[in-house]
Amino acid sequence: MGSYLLKRFLLMFPTLFGVAVVIFLLIRVIPGDVVELRMAGDRGAVSQQALDQERARFGLDQPVWKQFATWLWGVVRLDFGTSMWTGAPIGEEIKLRFALSFQVAVMATIVAVLLAIPLGVIAALKQDTWVDYAVRIFSIAGLATPSFWLGIVFILLLLIVFKWLPPMVYTPFWVNPWQNMLQLVWPALAVGYRYSAVATRMTRSAMLEVLQEDYIRTARAKGLVQKLVLSRHALKNAILPVMTVVGIEFAFLMGGLVVTEQVFNLNGLGLLFVQAVAHRDYTLIQALVLIVAGFFIVVNFAMDAMYAWLDPRIRYR
Amino acid sequence: MAVNPPIDDIIALEAPSARSRWAEAVGDFCRRRSLGAIGAVVILLMLAVALLAEVIAPYDPLAVDFGAMLSPPSAKHWVGTDTFGRDVLSRLIYGSRTALLVGFGASILGATLGAILGVGSAYFGGRVDLYLQRVMDIFLSFPLIILALALVAILGNSIPNLIMAITVPMIPRSALVIRSSALSVREMPYVDAARAAGFGHARIILRHMLPNVMAPYLIILTAFLGQAILLEASLSFLGLGVQEPIAAWGLMLRGAAVEFAETAPWMAVFPGLAISLAVFAFNLLGDSLRDALDPRLKTQ
Repeated sequence: MGSYLLKRFLLMFPTLFGVAVVIFLLIRVIPGDVVELRMAGDRGAVSQQALDQERARFGLDQPVWKQFATWLWGVVRLDFGTSMWTGAPIGEEIKLRFALSFQVAVMATIVAVLLAIPLGVIAALKQDTWVDYAVRIFSIAGLATPSFWLGIVFILLLLIVFKWLPPMVYTPFWVNPWQNMLQLVWPALAVGYRYSAVATRMTRSAMLEVLQEDYIRTARAKGLVQKLVLSRHALKNAILPVMTVVGIEFAFLMGGLVVTEQVFNLNGLGLLFVQAVAHRDYTLIQALVLIVAGFFIVVNFAMDAMYAWLDPRIRYR
Repeated sequence: MAVNPPIDDIIALEAPSARSRWAEAVGDFCRRRSLGAIGAVVILLMLAVALLAEVIAPYDPLAVDFGAMLSPPSAKHWVGTDTFGRDVLSRLIYGSRTALLVGFGASILGATLGAILGVGSAYFGGRVDLYLQRVMDIFLSFPLIILALALVAILGNSIPNLIMAITVPMIPRSALVIRSSALSVREMPYVDAARAAGFGHARIILRHMLPNVMAPYLIILTAFLGQAILLEASLSFLGLGVQEPIAAWGLMLRGAAVEFAETAPWMAVFPGLAISLAVFAFNLLGDSLRDALDPRLKTQ
């Protein structure tokens, strides 16, 4: 297992480096440059002097390789530079919002797992009955429903049925856990439902596969009750691919949050990213995309490592 | 000369059999994959609505009527009007054009470019394959919407740019799937034969290999269609996609969240239903198509 994991670990770095190169180049291949584009968007005519000044401020007057080296060296030291819009250090902007997005992401994951595993297991047990069809339609619908619209529908229903709106001002968990939960449970449900769809289908198919194995028949033959057969034998083996899917989806959760945070007016990383795009704040976009992609690569590696650790069949490859 | 029948006769002889084979396949699909057939019917209806928008829509989708601002559903406006007094139903109908244009544009481009890359990668193998795979790995580490948003920030948000922004993140996903099918096609005798006949790389890739990865291509295409529509709606909802006054479902939901929840819920409900229904239909069709065309993938 050691050499496999080491190889897998080392392979992460060229990918991370490639991601950094792509993001860096993406913003530099545009005709004109970042400063010109932004200034032109802001006001009409801009003096050459103002352009040069801005360029110097972001180091754009340096040769490209030098810019890249400076940026990358900063990233390695977790210094992402300053925002082109607010002028604040990007690290600070992110630190402010990370806790909120992370909490919603974790809550959405819990929602997804709580939905996916029971539904997937039931669908597999009742394969090709109406229960199975209902679960499958429920999960395909989850993939089809935009999470931001689901969020809007939640707000509508709460308002019409209960004449109540979730709080729109963020309260940190440690200040008032109840208030915090009341606000964040809705976006978590909206994102979690969509997120559960893939995991439900994975649970169903993994269970179907495992239920055909000999050891399940053995367990049944020796008179084990259904509940134990399912929990000790079937689910334990089916859970591995499900966890992988959940892990990978978690890494991509930022994508779901981008739109949902807007609906619930949550000042998290997703909203920050949308604002960065709207303001054409390229340094901030660069930093956020790098963080999201880096996070995905690391989670992916962690999932592979977990897989190898839990499944002896992969361990010695 | 007389030995060979005229070319028209050959076509005439073959055409009915080909057509009946198609009809049979379609009939079979409808019977065995009823969910997929339902999806296909919804998609055909949507296409019809989009094509006939001028005929069907009761009002001009851009016609502002300040006398009828935010009026609830009635006989005059079936699903009410928006803040500018524009008829929501007409905007929904015209919105299907935007959704299908961006959806088909981005997914056909993305799936096709990805297929060419995937087949090329499998065909050349060796170092080319290795490098292409690494590049694909890099692009696969960006979530769809994040890359699309970053591209919108760079390209600007006209409809062609929007299609581009949605296409790019789809390319590596398509290349990945197509490459794995193309790897087995490469080992087929007819590819060897084509190579032995001295055909160029481009001809072998385009004429001999691409047609034989049609099944995964169609599967990935229908899967992308739903995603592209969803992505366009999300970007437009954020105000970073289609711009006013063009009718687009995601854009119609913008600003409909909390402010109008109490006074005009129809503004928030119907565009969302339209998006969900469209994506749902494409997903149903895609799933059934996958089961029908590629039994190996039939699991999830």
